[in-house]
Amino acid sequence: MERRDFLKNLIVGGLALKFSTPVFSQPASPELAVVEGESPSAITREAIKTLGGMSRFISRGDKVLIKPNIGWDRTPEMAACTNPDVVAALVAMSFEAGAKEVVVMDHTINQPKRCYARSGIQEAARAAGARVLFTDEQRLKKMALKGEWLREWEIFQDFVEVDKLINVPIAKVHSLSRVTLGLKNWLGAIGGNRNQLHQKIDQAVVDLGAFFKPTLTVLDAYRVLFRNGPQGGRVSDTRLQKTVVAGKDPVAVDAYGATFFELKPQELAFLKLAQSRGLGKFELEKVRIEKRAV
Amino acid sequence: MKRERSKKYFWLQRLRILTQAGFFLLFFVLFLQTHYPGEDYLKITVERFFHFDPLLLAATAIASRTIYAALLLSLITVVATLLLGRFVCGWLCPLGALHQFFSFIFKKSRVLKPLKEDQASLSPKYLILFVVLAAALLSVNLVGYLDPLSFLYRSFSVFISPLLNLGLAQAGALSYYLGLKSLGQNISQTAGNLALNGVFQNALLVGALFLLAVLLNARKERFWCRYLCPAGALLGLFSRFNLLKLKIDPEKCINCHLCSIHCQTNARPFPAGEWRSSECIYCETCAAICPTAAISFPLRWKLEKMQGVDLNRRRVLLTSITGLFLAPIFKISPLRLRSNPGLIRPPGALPEPEFLNRCVKCGECLKVCPTNALHPAVTEAGPEGVWTPVLVPRKGYCEYYCSLCTQVCPTGAIRELTIEEKVTVKIGTAWVDKTRCLPYALGKPCIVCEEHCPVSPKAIQLIKVDTLTPEGLIATNLAPFVNVDTCIGCGICENKCVVMDLPAIRVSSVGEHRSSHNRLVLPVVEEQEKQKP
Repeated sequence: MERRDFLKNLIVGGLALKFSTPVFSQPASPELAVVEGESPSAITREAIKTLGGMSRFISRGDKVLIKPNIGWDRTPEMAACTNPDVVAALVAMSFEAGAKEVVVMDHTINQPKRCYARSGIQEAARAAGARVLFTDEQRLKKMALKGEWLREWEIFQDFVEVDKLINVPIAKVHSLSRVTLGLKNWLGAIGGNRNQLHQKIDQAVVDLGAFFKPTLTVLDAYRVLFRNGPQGGRVSDTRLQKTVVAGKDPVAVDAYGATFFELKPQELAFLKLAQSRGLGKFELEKVRIEKRAV
Repeated sequence: MKRERSKKYFWLQRLRILTQAGFFLLFFVLFLQTHYPGEDYLKITVERFFHFDPLLLAATAIASRTIYAALLLSLITVVATLLLGRFVCGWLCPLGALHQFFSFIFKKSRVLKPLKEDQASLSPKYLILFVVLAAALLSVNLVGYLDPLSFLYRSFSVFISPLLNLGLAQAGALSYYLGLKSLGQNISQTAGNLALNGVFQNALLVGALFLLAVLLNARKERFWCRYLCPAGALLGLFSRFNLLKLKIDPEKCINCHLCSIHCQTNARPFPAGEWRSSECIYCETCAAICPTAAISFPLRWKLEKMQGVDLNRRRVLLTSITGLFLAPIFKISPLRLRSNPGLIRPPGALPEPEFLNRCVKCGECLKVCPTNALHPAVTEAGPEGVWTPVLVPRKGYCEYYCSLCTQVCPTGAIRELTIEEKVTVKIGTAWVDKTRCLPYALGKPCIVCEEHCPVSPKAIQLIKVDTLTPEGLIATNLAPFVNVDTCIGCGICENKCVVMDLPAIRVSSVGEHRSSHNRLVLPVVEEQEKQKP
């Protein structure tokens, strides 16, 4: 973002806040929406509705980038990648809120074309009107992350040059960070030797989380991977949770996500780090949560 | 007498050029289609060209003593050639088209103009053929090196494809540099969909030979087809009836020699009676160029005699015997005693001796592999196996749910597998190098190999390991431990290992299912283990 744009946004936003109805201070709207139901698409829609509707997050004319987890060459029933219906619902809602363009993108681990096709995300998101793009090496740029550990790293510019960023991770177990949820999903927005980040994974995850500030985090826990993470391999490694967790606070979303794996948020080092960095709250008792079922 | 060229043969020549261009295009389209199509199974037989090549049928059938059914399609080529001569070379062969094209270009140029007068013997290609077939008798399959389709496809897979990929990347970079963002984006998305492999070991040699073959057209027109092509030689032996026979009308002929000068394959249309029917590829150049339209190809039923090729019984016999003596040289390799740890074959590959008998080094599997894991072997497979496919985990890994390489092999050297079958095939075993592995050697956390292991339950298990640090502290970390029974040797662990130069976990071929001796645990023992309560 250019400095001029930033200042312009600041003034326009300030004026808007001053003269519009005070939506942000409404105590009624929850910080976290947890919706359970049979249809991945319906629970996603209900979760966003619970938070006050997509127009709270997306403005008319916005360029939106949706970042699912498309890391693995795995079909949806393996729960290694985000549920395609959840992604498609978010694409549709972004357009309904007036988005000009919606791009769906992830830097995959397995071969990109295979991941995009076999995860079902390419087809579903395209059908909803999104542009589903492969990451492009040419678009990598070393940027100052100003993290505690990661001072700078190569970032795909597509994730930076957008108006709104929506993070759509899937809930999975991981042998090092124990779970992989929203914050860890940003490993798919960067280039470089990502695997080296595992040497200090909790710090890396928080540094990335502090750099990418999503408008919204929508955790797909329709089918969670509770064994053999982060890619599973058998349907028996997964469990139907039929839930979507959405919120503006990425730490709160991840904290809630931990509970699907019988973990207390305070057991996860990266959540503590994230809270102390001011990225959000992990103490769920302090978070306004609204649960619904459809 | 009125001088006028034949309109009919002029148009026939144009039709031939069009056909050549069409077949070359078809070849190239099939080449580009040899990639992951977005579905598990390829819908089109991208390797179809190979099935029409009788040389591949002959060589693989003799070497392996089995006939691969799809190759029987080449009998169509044989029958067509018996009746009509080598029109396949002139009209259909994509490598022939390429040589023809460059011959045409070079003829126009000053520097690269091919020589005209040609006394050189046309027999080398026949001798090459006899060496190949004689070696095949001793189960040494040399056909892939000079078979025209293998040569062309391999050159495109290993050399042209990376160049195209590089070109796309450069074009994309330039577009972004010029501020043409959407063009740059389109280019990168096209590249992503084409999934061209970007690097190959030994690409320089394969590429140099390809360029050499092209450049030889500057020496003689269609140099390859005249002197080198063993498939052309085989078709030459089959061209017996040549129902369409060259005929020179003595009334019209003005003895200008133009037809013989411009003959692409030195088949000598002039003087009458010296026509080398086994060399004629029916390009129609002579008939089209004749200033008095004296040349025609009327239909006549008469057996042709092979002439103009100095190929007597003695030479044939001598060459074949040479081939028989040459063949064992390829077998003198220590690989016959002990498998090469670095010789990891694609899943579905037949046991090594049978694999070598069938593989024609065409490069179909190299092209289709989505992760650029398969490379043309240099020394890994011994003298017989140069350019056969070998999986190099450091460059690419075997994608778990992919069986594409097994779907494109034209000779059945790689058995076709369903995805369900493929995931059960073990092609090697991963080994942890504790002197380089971060948790073992440095006491640092890293579970990257375990994370990437695609098998469920994971073949890389994690154990707690204590490492004594120089400070006298004990660093306890999770460290990889490979379960040799469930590891399939896909190589993703080696590929993704953070130790970039020599990874701390490496796959070797031991334990590969296709081999009964390249083992580390006796199957008998495994069976006994299973029976234990």
